[in-house]
Amino acid sequence: MFALFQVEMVKQWRRPRTYVALGLTMLVPLLITIALKANPPGLPGTGEQRGFGSRGGDNALSYLSTKTGLIVPVFALEVMSGFLLVVIVALFAGDAIASEANWGSLRALLARPIPRGRLLAAKLASALLLAFIATLTVVLTGLIAGAIAFGWHTLDVPLLGLHQSVTETLGNLILATLYVFWGLAGVVALGFMVSTMVDTPAGAIFAAVGFYLVTRILDAITALGSIRNILPTHYADAWTNLFTSGGANSDMLKGALLQIPYIIGFCAIAWWWFHRKDILS
Amino acid sequence: MASPGDQLPRTPGQLRPASVGAVISIEHLTKRFGEVAVVDDLSLGVERGQICGLLGPNGAGKTTTLRMAVGLVHPSAGDTRIFGEQIRPGSAVLARVGNMIEHAEFAPYLSGLEDLRLYWKAGGGDFDDANVDRALAIAGLGDAINRKIKTYSQGMRQRLGIARALLGRPEVLVLDEPTNGLDPGEIRDIRDLLQGLAAEGVTVLLSSHLLGEVEQVCTHAVVMDRGRLIAAGTVAELIQASSSAYIEVDDIARAQQVLESLPGVQSVRREGTGLEVRLDGTPRSDVAEALVRAGLKLETITSRHRLEDAFLELVHEEAK
Repeated sequence: MFALFQVEMVKQWRRPRTYVALGLTMLVPLLITIALKANPPGLPGTGEQRGFGSRGGDNALSYLSTKTGLIVPVFALEVMSGFLLVVIVALFAGDAIASEANWGSLRALLARPIPRGRLLAAKLASALLLAFIATLTVVLTGLIAGAIAFGWHTLDVPLLGLHQSVTETLGNLILATLYVFWGLAGVVALGFMVSTMVDTPAGAIFAAVGFYLVTRILDAITALGSIRNILPTHYADAWTNLFTSGGANSDMLKGALLQIPYIIGFCAIAWWWFHRKDILS
Repeated sequence: MASPGDQLPRTPGQLRPASVGAVISIEHLTKRFGEVAVVDDLSLGVERGQICGLLGPNGAGKTTTLRMAVGLVHPSAGDTRIFGEQIRPGSAVLARVGNMIEHAEFAPYLSGLEDLRLYWKAGGGDFDDANVDRALAIAGLGDAINRKIKTYSQGMRQRLGIARALLGRPEVLVLDEPTNGLDPGEIRDIRDLLQGLAAEGVTVLLSSHLLGEVEQVCTHAVVMDRGRLIAAGTVAELIQASSSAYIEVDDIARAQQVLESLPGVQSVRREGTGLEVRLDGTPRSDVAEALVRAGLKLETITSRHRLEDAFLELVHEEAK
């Protein structure tokens, strides 16, 4: 199993698209840092605009980023997890099986004494690892660039009632990184599932991104009421409270737990489908 | 009158279905896609050291048969056994099987050598023990083995595919159109290679459209049409069963008239200085007698011992 995983990772590292994708996860935090430095945002507005909930945190985070470089990766994560990071992890997941089917190399691999379940597990693990590396790259790049641009300070904004030590902020940053990655694991699982069903990677990638966007749109329709609570993206932004409201909350736990049935469901369908699939491509 | 197909061995002793001791044993193998039976109740056995060619027109079910033989396609009924072990996806016995199904295809961003290494390591094997030198010698790619595969020609990919199939000294080879895209010299090399491997005891099951190639390289052949086996035997048996004749006479036009009116003659066509006559089981001596009775001077009458003739007769007969 580990040999197969190693082979999958080597294949991924040989692919130019891996570098392009990871390059983007470095480039965007750098651009954000430069933009914040060049044009520092002002204090967030009053009343509702000052709210630091999952919908009102953007302005707050961009403002806080200028107070300490430790918040720059948080703002970068906030910006990227809405779309670009989703596309990147969908790329890694949707490409996993479908690209090999597209090239025709899948049949050579599956005509070997390699159980299909084992191949699936190795490819899923490599897609998840790359998704995590992409998320981590955003954070590390933002952290380094932010520290250079805005310093390495305690988060202290009395006007907003915020005070976090460096250690506390770093701890929250680790938690936020894991939460964002875990929140994308459902997208990875769906992209991976579709990847077992199609022979063109683009189909699986679009399906995963589309799934994410559709659930976000549905989540914005308040008339859906409590149905929104079971959408996998409903609690996607709950992690921003770590930096704006002082700590983890029950929404993060709900969001983390909510991913589990989606991941299990999509992976189970992928496993069932791939085992009964005739390899014709 | 017996049809040519009836004269051919369908399950002769040397290629008996599901024979005890057969390395590759296919029993009642069937594959349906919806209502269409792509492979229909196919049974055959290939013994150690034999090179068995699957022949058939497009859509005969050759590639699907080979895919089922290595666990890529699930049979609707029946099964394939290699060394007695039923083939399922990922069966352990596939470690003893080298394969190249359809065109040799690879991840384009890898070099030839990287692909071989990763392919072998994916199965948990040590690349140093994979008989790499021989595989590389067969690939014959020289320094190009370190180039990205996307720069390879079709022939280079095919050679790399054969090299990949030979990693780890397989005891069985399953090859789909192995000489596809190769030039005549490379085809000869592959022919010599396969015959050499068979002499060492390697069992080969291959498909090919090149009937001349099968005739030269295979010890046995199975003719398929629309998913069904229509004849099987040694290549020599199949050729002998062919009932074509080549005739040279003093008056070709007159001879053609006589032959076309003769019962038992399927077709007559000019070929070079003579006539090629396809017979419907009629003995060649009857043809010769009819020509002499018509006052023609018969200069030559020979049988056509070519696999192509046998194949075309079989498929033609099956289509009736």
